[in-house]
Amino acid sequence: MAKVSIENIRKQFGAAVAVSDFSLEIAEGELVTFLGPSGCGKTTTLRMIAGFITPTAGRIRIGETDVTRLPVHKRDAGMVFQRYALFPHMTVAENVAFGLEMHKVPKADRDAKIRRVLDMVRMTELRDRYPRQLSGGQQQRVAIARALAIEPKVFLLDEPLSNLDAKLRLEVREEIRALQRRLGLTTVFVTHDQEEALAIADRMAIMHDGIVQQVGAPDTLYERPANLFVADFLGKMNVFTGRGQANDQFETKAGQRIAAPGGGNATHVGVRPERVRLQAQPSGGNALPGVIESSLYLGSVLEVRVQLDGGDRLISQIVNAGTRAAPPAAGERVYACFEPDDCVAFTQ
Amino acid sequence: MYAFMLSPIVLVVWLSFFKDAILYFPPSGYTLSWYVKAWENPAFANGFIFSLQVSLVAAFIGVTMGVLAAVAIARYRFSGSKGVNTLLLSPLLIPGIVAGVAVYLFYLRAENVLDQDLVGTFGGLVIAHVCLTIPWTVRLVTAGMAGLDGSIEEAARNLGASAPKAFMRVTLPMLRPSIVAAALFSFVVSFENLELSLSLVGPGRTTLPIAIMQYLEFNLDPTIASVASVQILLLGIIMLVTDRYVKLSQVV
Amino acid sequence: MTTATQDGRPSRWLGPGLAFPASLVVLVIIMIPILQLARYSFNHFDPVEMMQTAFTFENYAKFFGDPYYRDIFFTTLGIAALCTVLALVLGFPVAYFLARTQSRYKSLFVILLVFPLMVGNVVRAAGWMVALGNAGVVNAVLQGLGIIDKPLTLMYTPTAVVIGTTAVVMPYLILTLQSVLEGMDLSVEEAARNVGASFFTTFRRIVLPIAAPGVAAGTMLVFILCMNAYATPVLLGGSGLTMMAPALYDQITKASNWPFGAALAVILVCGTLVIALFSNWLIHRRYIKTMAS
Repeated sequence: MAKVSIENIRKQFGAAVAVSDFSLEIAEGELVTFLGPSGCGKTTTLRMIAGFITPTAGRIRIGETDVTRLPVHKRDAGMVFQRYALFPHMTVAENVAFGLEMHKVPKADRDAKIRRVLDMVRMTELRDRYPRQLSGGQQQRVAIARALAIEPKVFLLDEPLSNLDAKLRLEVREEIRALQRRLGLTTVFVTHDQEEALAIADRMAIMHDGIVQQVGAPDTLYERPANLFVADFLGKMNVFTGRGQANDQFETKAGQRIAAPGGGNATHVGVRPERVRLQAQPSGGNALPGVIESSLYLGSVLEVRVQLDGGDRLISQIVNAGTRAAPPAAGERVYACFEPDDCVAFTQ
Repeated sequence: MYAFMLSPIVLVVWLSFFKDAILYFPPSGYTLSWYVKAWENPAFANGFIFSLQVSLVAAFIGVTMGVLAAVAIARYRFSGSKGVNTLLLSPLLIPGIVAGVAVYLFYLRAENVLDQDLVGTFGGLVIAHVCLTIPWTVRLVTAGMAGLDGSIEEAARNLGASAPKAFMRVTLPMLRPSIVAAALFSFVVSFENLELSLSLVGPGRTTLPIAIMQYLEFNLDPTIASVASVQILLLGIIMLVTDRYVKLSQVV
Repeated sequence: MTTATQDGRPSRWLGPGLAFPASLVVLVIIMIPILQLARYSFNHFDPVEMMQTAFTFENYAKFFGDPYYRDIFFTTLGIAALCTVLALVLGFPVAYFLARTQSRYKSLFVILLVFPLMVGNVVRAAGWMVALGNAGVVNAVLQGLGIIDKPLTLMYTPTAVVIGTTAVVMPYLILTLQSVLEGMDLSVEEAARNVGASFFTTFRRIVLPIAAPGVAAGTMLVFILCMNAYATPVLLGGSGLTMMAPALYDQITKASNWPFGAALAVILVCGTLVIALFSNWLIHRRYIKTMAS
């Protein structure tokens, strides 16, 4: 395994900039997810690491080697493709053997390696089947085995779970994570599904329109988003527009006062719905009066919309307490209460 | 490779402008006079007009019949529709020359029975050419129908149109590109045909490709090059127009 | 006859009715004559009456017994095979390029391929006559460059026929191969390169085997076209070279030997079909694994 250094990578297609000045150091054995909406440049960056796309500017290093101009087949960056891309005319075992043959692994050692890697993904019994005889999940596992068989320096995954159904997705996700940890694989995982990204990443890089918005551990990105895009992309965020005042106070357009660290210099202040409690009486650092508009039943949680005095709107997410508490009723007057430390200030 | 495939055509057109009557490289000069001479030659002028007539009529008849049949096959799944589809596409599989002589012999026999000339007549040739145009029409129109979004016609019916009305007012107009392409393509296929027509033409009633071929068996000069160039020009233009309607690469 | 039944669904006669005119024409003008031709091949040729109704195999015996005619068949077969292979070898790279290119000129390249097909075989053969004749372009260039003193005899040779026929069928082959290659999942090729296969190894071990069935179908089509060629062999081959299609035409129209000509036709069609299907079957057996879903 090796570390990956992405240095000021830029990719342009004609006049369109797909990736702009991307720099990242991925430590050995780390799993980084690239997350973002379609067209944000995450897949382009991944394919630049793999070598299918050549950067317009910048450098990519795998370990100490500068691979920027190195052809695909010399990079040892085993990749799992979105639609598996198994060789249809070869059996499972032959699919896995192919990479070993290309890496000139002596025949004697090949069998052992194939067996080992098929065991890891639990596909040993089906080694003589053809791809068309396998289910989606099984094909996915073969794809993983094939990429790992060549003992790559970097392990790349391009939205590997998006073609699986929901339940399978969770299973395979955990398997990939377990495998990655066990083998200490330096891994880049591209996805547009934020839950997926949050669940498995050591660190996440969120991208938008080719620009990296923020890089960090999942909890950092979620609790302390660097900008409005990240705040809004990961989960939901109540955002108030307004103006900073003295003493870390923030006044919203509608005239409400919010206490937030850094609020004195902010243009926007945000707070997550699950941090907002709805009480009959004000309590806590911030308590904004308002009226309940509606309440959305989402199963495990309730999403309550509150119209605050002065015009702002806010969403509070409360755990569904079942029969133990009365659900919030429309028209009820409440106070939306949240702590200053739960707020995030943005300057945009 | 492109040079290899296209050079004959380029050479023919180039030759048509050579000043010398006998083929010689490099040419001593260029002129347009051969085009005039070619038109003055009755064999070529008549051949051109005759080919135009045959192809226009054959394309018209073939496309009409072909569209009806294609609609029947693609829309109204009746037992044997697969067989009919194969039947209608079969002329494409038969070597032109074999079909040509087969029809020729058939006509001779039919002439005895019907007491009417068939070989060497306009009608006889047209009917044979219709068999060239039907397969291409069926192929293009069934492909076109397969590509249609069925829910559009359903929406029309949902809004109150009866089935035939919905078909005429909604589906058929959506098929226009395919039908136009079929018409143009059929015209081209009929115009440039040699093998099928070879045994079915008569004195004074011959198609342009055949006239060109007969000349070429004895002579290669700028005159014939100019005639060939006219055919190239005509068919080339039609091809470009057809391409606007249908992706030609998928058809062939 | 109404087009709808009581409950508004189309009458079961509508479909057949619409297809009837076209079917009738094809049946009467193509199917029946072909059957008649096949039937004639068993008749007897008489110099005086021309054809007498009979049921004899003498025409077929004559064909297979006479080395002259066997030669014609094998010459045709040899030329057709050679042209098919040449077209395949030369055309595959072009098809691959077209299938994988992102160039905005792609449709232009495709049109340039379709153009020769629409212009007609006679015209294209004429072009080769200009190129290959004693006073033609090739000779003029070679003499001009001083490579040769006297013109090479290129026209009216088997070489000319091979060149001309290959040029005629190559666009068909390229277009068929292109659509086969475009139908292939590009990421399978990428996966091969990702695990270490160079470009050529990927082509050999991955692209070719997967594309094989489509390639086989396209090649079969091209082979059939070559076997049936008429205009190109006649114009470029001269009187020294006889191939099946011209031979059968002459038998029927010039020699008026209908039964024999008919036999030639039947042999041509059946022979071609048998050889083509056999090769197709061979390829299918070899690459059966890819052909499933």
